[in-house]
Amino acid sequence: MLKTLIDAFALISTWEVIIAMFAASVYGLVIGSLPGLSATMATALLVPVTFYLSPIAAIATIVAASSMAIFSGDIPGALLRIPGTPASAAYADEAYAMTRKGQAELALGAGVWFSAVGGIAGVLSLMILAPPLAEIALSFSTFEYFWLALLGLMCATLVARSSPVKAIAGMFLGLLVSCIGIENPGGVPRFTFGITDLFGGIEPIPALVGVFAVAQVMRAMLTPEPPPLPRRKFGSIMAGQWKLTKKYHWQMTRGNIIGIIIGVLPGAGADMAAWVSYAMSKRFSKEPEKFGTGHVEGLVEAGASNNASIASGWVPSLLFGIPGDTIAAIAIGVLYMKGLNPGPTLFTEKASSMYAIYLMFIIANILMIPLGIAMIRVAAYILLAPRSTVMPIIMLCCAVGSFAIGNNMFGVVTVAAFGVIGYVMEANGYPVAAMVLGIVMGTMVEQAFVTSLIKSDGSILPFFERPVAAILAAMAIGALLWPVMVWVWRKVKPVQAAAATTR
Amino acid sequence: MRLPDSVTGSFLVVLGAAAAYGGWILPPVPGQPVGPNVFPLVIGIGLALCGLAIVFGIGHSFEEEEELVPLEDGQVAAPPPQSKLYGLRALLPPALLLFYVAAADRLGFIITAAIMVYITATALGAKWKLALPLAALSPFAIHLIFGKLLRVPLPAGLLPTPW
Repeated sequence: MLKTLIDAFALISTWEVIIAMFAASVYGLVIGSLPGLSATMATALLVPVTFYLSPIAAIATIVAASSMAIFSGDIPGALLRIPGTPASAAYADEAYAMTRKGQAELALGAGVWFSAVGGIAGVLSLMILAPPLAEIALSFSTFEYFWLALLGLMCATLVARSSPVKAIAGMFLGLLVSCIGIENPGGVPRFTFGITDLFGGIEPIPALVGVFAVAQVMRAMLTPEPPPLPRRKFGSIMAGQWKLTKKYHWQMTRGNIIGIIIGVLPGAGADMAAWVSYAMSKRFSKEPEKFGTGHVEGLVEAGASNNASIASGWVPSLLFGIPGDTIAAIAIGVLYMKGLNPGPTLFTEKASSMYAIYLMFIIANILMIPLGIAMIRVAAYILLAPRSTVMPIIMLCCAVGSFAIGNNMFGVVTVAAFGVIGYVMEANGYPVAAMVLGIVMGTMVEQAFVTSLIKSDGSILPFFERPVAAILAAMAIGALLWPVMVWVWRKVKPVQAAAATTR
Repeated sequence: MRLPDSVTGSFLVVLGAAAAYGGWILPPVPGQPVGPNVFPLVIGIGLALCGLAIVFGIGHSFEEEEELVPLEDGQVAAPPPQSKLYGLRALLPPALLLFYVAAADRLGFIITAAIMVYITATALGAKWKLALPLAALSPFAIHLIFGKLLRVPLPAGLLPTPW
């Protein structure tokens, strides 16, 4: 244990890791603070750079950039009422109301402080949850993996803020994309239409860059430019945060726990955590009438929640290769590339690397406090950069980055195609996160499914015979039927209400 | 690009059916009941069923309308021009990426990138005073990071970089 910890320290105390982490932090802060550029996009654009780094440095950049971007999305939310990342959208109105009351420092300070606390709580959950779960996961067979993957896909459709049918359709689309190529049980070219470039299948990373970055540039083409940030002098940012921590410690803890739970659920990430926590905070507050008028309580809870979900999203990713959110989906791609294939054995064979990940999360969240304060002070200058200078650079990074993944031009075509697909899906209410999950998990789902079918000789019964498999199956089927039950309930309820009024 | 649900749903039905058929005709692995054909078959059928459900409007009641953030008093946003051509602007980024694929090898990275940056910046409303220096400088910066530091073999083309 102690030796692994020392090994982990040795792994992260190289110049490469330190510089990579620092640079990625600054990058994450800047991208996160620019409206329209999300934390997922920041992470996706980082991937080509991680090819050229050592495994630990590569993971360090992702950990640092994603944590920082989720916090710095609060900055334009509070100052402009335009959330920098979707994760800050839940409480942008509240934070802006505080700014108008002259409490911008308090709102932003709460953003930094409770983000850092939430992030550390998330790491603790990762450290505590992952090893015992790994023990259990070691005894999993393909049947359990199949149901687990299905449960993950179903969760993603349940939490989507749109029609569950469209979410399931999005998931199927993603699975269909993963069918392309010759990496299938028979080794035959499938859906390649004779195009040699498709033999290797669609790489998840260019698809992600397309869906999150190119689609965003496409949307920017049609939306008006956000207004520039008014310049202002800030007082002390951290003043009063300790008082808030003591006053709202229960809200903070609740936010952390909700964030951790939502992070662990596959497909649901920081934005969902923030929405749920903000709603919880309002529901259970002693002074709910103050919400919406610039009240810090909701900010504390939701800020603590969205950052907690970032680290806990790594739990299912590291254990099963099932991403906890879209950022973790990208991280899984990087883990595979760096030879740290997700799975329960990762915790026994590469224990020092795991400890290094924990340590990097903790360091990133501590680093967030000084860097975040500096960022708040210079934000007015960074937000002066007009969109018409940022978006062209993003375009270049998309082109060069997707080329760099395989050093071939087909990556660029993939990015362009998925940009269009992501844009059309989003415009019509199909959640892209569900499709992304399908693409990332497709190969694994198919392998588990087909291997199980071969083992059972085509019979369905063995899928339910092992106890853990049966429990997971019940949960997955329940998740599938849940929207149907809600739908029936909504149909029945108005009838009852009508009957009650006529009586 | 907001299409009626009946259009997207029907498209999914067709796509799902095509995928199921495409899976069905794949050769099975000899001596084994299940091979590469099972998974696309299952997915295709699922996708087609979802498409049907969407056509008939099942699950529509769950959709939340997008909340439009009301603007602050005193700020009046110009209403976006609603001509048909305006909507096509969204296709510019993917078109530029395809242009990059087609032209980068011949023109080289620097020139292709400069054209991409100039067009994107202008489309987003930059004046030429801003777009031109941006197009002149940013390709060199990106080339320095990716080409020089990360050793991505970017095509040199007509204009080799000084390093």
